[in-house]
Amino acid sequence: MTGGGEMEGTEIYGRRACQLVKELASAEPGQLTSFNDDMFNQVIKECNLHYSQFYELTKKMQEEGLDVQSARNADHFGMLIHHLSLIRNKRCLMAYVFKRAEIIQSLSWKVGRVLPEEIEQKLSDPEKRYFRNHSSALQSYMRDMGGLDLTVDMVPPKDPYIKVRVLDDIGVTAMGDRDTNLARHSIHFLKRTDAEHYIFQILLVLVLTGDDGRAHRLKLINLLLVFTVQLAVSLISVHTALLVLS
Amino acid sequence: MTNYYDIDDILSEEELIPVVFQKAATGVGLLDPSSETHNVEQGAKIELPFWLAHELYARQALTMSIPPCFNQMTRKEIQADAASVDLRNRCQYFYELGCKIAPLVGDKTIGSFLLYSFTNRYKEVLSKAHTASFTVSTKPLTLLTKEETHLYEAAQSSMTAFKKWRMGGSRFEIPSVLGRKRKPVE
Repeated sequence: MTGGGEMEGTEIYGRRACQLVKELASAEPGQLTSFNDDMFNQVIKECNLHYSQFYELTKKMQEEGLDVQSARNADHFGMLIHHLSLIRNKRCLMAYVFKRAEIIQSLSWKVGRVLPEEIEQKLSDPEKRYFRNHSSALQSYMRDMGGLDLTVDMVPPKDPYIKVRVLDDIGVTAMGDRDTNLARHSIHFLKRTDAEHYIFQILLVLVLTGDDGRAHRLKLINLLLVFTVQLAVSLISVHTALLVLS
Repeated sequence: MTNYYDIDDILSEEELIPVVFQKAATGVGLLDPSSETHNVEQGAKIELPFWLAHELYARQALTMSIPPCFNQMTRKEIQADAASVDLRNRCQYFYELGCKIAPLVGDKTIGSFLLYSFTNRYKEVLSKAHTASFTVSTKPLTLLTKEETHLYEAAQSSMTAFKKWRMGGSRFEIPSVLGRKRKPVE
């Protein structure tokens, strides 16, 4: 039979693609795993096999003089299964790439323009390109807005200056109008906007003051409220879904 | 219509459904492990993932039966003590699959069964999540389906957020992608 031998000893249709998606599901939310090149290519190979088998069956039906559109014989259902498997594989691959792209997009907001090496290793080449393009689009947008930095903390600070402790030797850095020596374990009083960048890279740590604690509480109340509402909405939707069925 | 890219939706459709082929199909012998040819014969009894089964069912190529996680035995167990039944082992996407399969197999009791299981397990899930928010306990999680795990985590994170708020915490959060790793101090 046509091409059947090629698929022998392989997994049931769509199983590999599903494994790929499972990999996403089991990863910590917001965390990237290494791009699974091997599995990805195997799924694409499977897609090509489905296509060639689909094509052979079409040819066979045409040779037998049957109308591919309307005939409902065994070949038709064989074709149908190959077609459906192909679509399923496509959906899994798309979801895999899409979810990763979402995470990569969020990276340029959270981490900045340069990726730490341990994250960069996990990206495939097109993904690296995507990250670069996304962050340069973000940069040029911010430039067009008149140099407004959108990646800074969204909550307006009570005090433009914060106290930070240096975790790693950064060296002499230009902070505002003067140079500051950011030696390890030294404590500085810096402009918030200057320090934020380093805090996100885990080079500085914030030294808490009373004021900050209070602002934080307010933010958490908000979070909690938003969260409770979300929870309630999701519960209601589950309930109605189940009620409709019963 | 759910989101095309929804991971849970994709995975829930991977659950196996017992089917009987009403039509033969060529070139797909892989689906039937007992088949010696490359074809699936008419009347072959096999298990297919839901995404394939329901499309073929819509074209009258096969008949579906109810997967084992909705059988009488499970129903009896749920009735006896809903919260202690290991649904994760039976079907990770118990509710999602149930919602999808109920209109297809024409079994009117599945809907009410799902609702009954959900409402009875729900209370237990929440109370466990709230009491266990700081001690790391994974045991109740091993019994829960995906949906219930989300619920459990949601309840737990709201509890942690509440406790964190009471104590006050740091304004800045390190992006989770970077982890908590710091450079080792020499």
